[in-house]
Amino acid sequence: MLIRDVMHYPVETVAPQATLAEAYRIMQQKGFRHLPVVEAGRLVGIVTDRDLRLATSALHPHPFPPEARVADVMQRRVITAAPHDPIEEAARLMRRQRIGCLPVLEGEVLIGMVTATDLLEALLRLTGADQPSGRLEVQLAHLPGRLAALATAIAAQQVNVLSILSYAESPQWLRVVLRVDTNRTHPLAEALRREGFDVIWPPRKPWFPSSTIPTT
Amino acid sequence: MVPVVYHPDYLSYNFGPEHPFSPLRLEMLWTLLEALDCRPHVLCPPVASRADVLRVHTETYVARVEAASQGEPLPDAEAFGLGTPDVPIFLGMDHAARTLVGGTLHAARLLTTGKATTLLQLGGGFHHAHPNRASGFCIYNDLSIAIRVLTEAGLRVAYIDIDVHHGDGVQAIHYHEDTVLTISLHESGQYLFPGTGFIDEIGEGRGQGFSLNVPLQPFTDDASYLETFERVVPHALVMFRPDVLVIQCGADAHFKDPLADLLLTTRAYEQLFRRLKALAAEHTGSRALFTLGGGYDFDATTRIWALLYLILQDLPLPDRLPPDWRVAWEQRLGCPLTPTLHDPSEPLSVSPARRHQIAQQNVQTAQRLMDMISYYWY
Repeated sequence: MLIRDVMHYPVETVAPQATLAEAYRIMQQKGFRHLPVVEAGRLVGIVTDRDLRLATSALHPHPFPPEARVADVMQRRVITAAPHDPIEEAARLMRRQRIGCLPVLEGEVLIGMVTATDLLEALLRLTGADQPSGRLEVQLAHLPGRLAALATAIAAQQVNVLSILSYAESPQWLRVVLRVDTNRTHPLAEALRREGFDVIWPPRKPWFPSSTIPTT
Repeated sequence: MVPVVYHPDYLSYNFGPEHPFSPLRLEMLWTLLEALDCRPHVLCPPVASRADVLRVHTETYVARVEAASQGEPLPDAEAFGLGTPDVPIFLGMDHAARTLVGGTLHAARLLTTGKATTLLQLGGGFHHAHPNRASGFCIYNDLSIAIRVLTEAGLRVAYIDIDVHHGDGVQAIHYHEDTVLTISLHESGQYLFPGTGFIDEIGEGRGQGFSLNVPLQPFTDDASYLETFERVVPHALVMFRPDVLVIQCGADAHFKDPLADLLLTTRAYEQLFRRLKALAAEHTGSRALFTLGGGYDFDATTRIWALLYLILQDLPLPDRLPPDWRVAWEQRLGCPLTPTLHDPSEPLSVSPARRHQIAQQNVQTAQRLMDMISYYWY
């Protein structure tokens, strides 16, 4: 998943000559916290609601008046992203630099913004929870080929996998969470258990199998 | 006598012998009612027309179902949820699905003309069908098609869904409407198909505040389920002032259900059905349309739907089931069946500490939901 897939656009911008009061009003009206500052089509800075609040605070030794220019308080060193970078690059940058958004530049042109909220949205999409699906959680030995064996066993049940998330629970064990395109995760789990897989969810029922599909 | 809508062709909605949504469940129920000597007075519904289906579904989707139904190869079937493990293609599936839509629709039309108050559709409840997609054993959304007929007649509809799965199709179709209140109680989408139905799904635009979801913890038992129901449903009906209730009575929250993880017994269902009937009497002058739904343990599902029927008809509940009926079906299914109408014993449960924790979490869910939603009501 690339940054251009999760960024939002068009972008609301402000000029460096705009006053703090104007920038504040745009943020209030549109519900933004970040405003890129653009001059003659070039990104020259970024101003956040926090910048405005700190600069105008009564606690500030020399508080800025509402007529002060955005250029006086904006952050000039802007950290940006490229549209074709993967989203994990955006997450890494935002976490390391401790910032809440990244303007997306194509060459010199500002084409979008990625915020922490966009990344959470992407996380939801990655978990496959945006389509009707069932959830399957399996613990695998952390060895080559185990994930492939699991995928093969699921395919043998004619079930399609919508998403896979995995993380190493310990050096020995890999926890895998899958979204699958079926309502029938219990029978699927039973089939996988018969193949020797350690299925964490859905749980085994003590009374399984019950009177369901007739044998005759 | 509550009229029952049923057609023998309902049994043609059949995904094959390996599929859990089996017409055998209806056949078992029907023969049980016969054996109990309380066979219903039946209204035979006409098959729903293509135009009826198009009230809710898109032309592109319906054309795919029709093609699949005639055995034509469909390269993009899966994009429409067809030819999947949950909704395999079978010959005649379009007609079979329209037959069941016809029943729910017929019941709705009888309600609009005032020819009946309470009705039971012995089938239907396809709450996962989306306008452009089959899903979760559902092809055409009979519930929403019927709801459209009711709202077009100027009625305010409260839809109550007690199937263990979230009623995602019905919710999505009426998400922007303020004349339809949807309430779904289900095992949380964190654990169970279709993975939606969280408390913050409250509707959009005019529909904001008219979509309620009660996601329950896995292993929720009778007491906690009924308590949570009481914390939400009666208040929602007081607020909404519906003219009619549409109730999807899936039986898959039962502890024996092979697809889900709640622990209800038939006792909870008895109380639930009595309560729903009383709520209809209180809020809509008993105008209510009950449908069936999910329920994949043959033994439990048949007994739960028999309870629904007997309670709606004000008939006494027998203690034991007719032995001839039971033995015949035990032979046919190759498994033992419960000899009594109610479950004989408590289900295997989780530890008392865990039970308490689950109940508390459900209370909290109901409280958070009511806090969030009442902002839009008052």
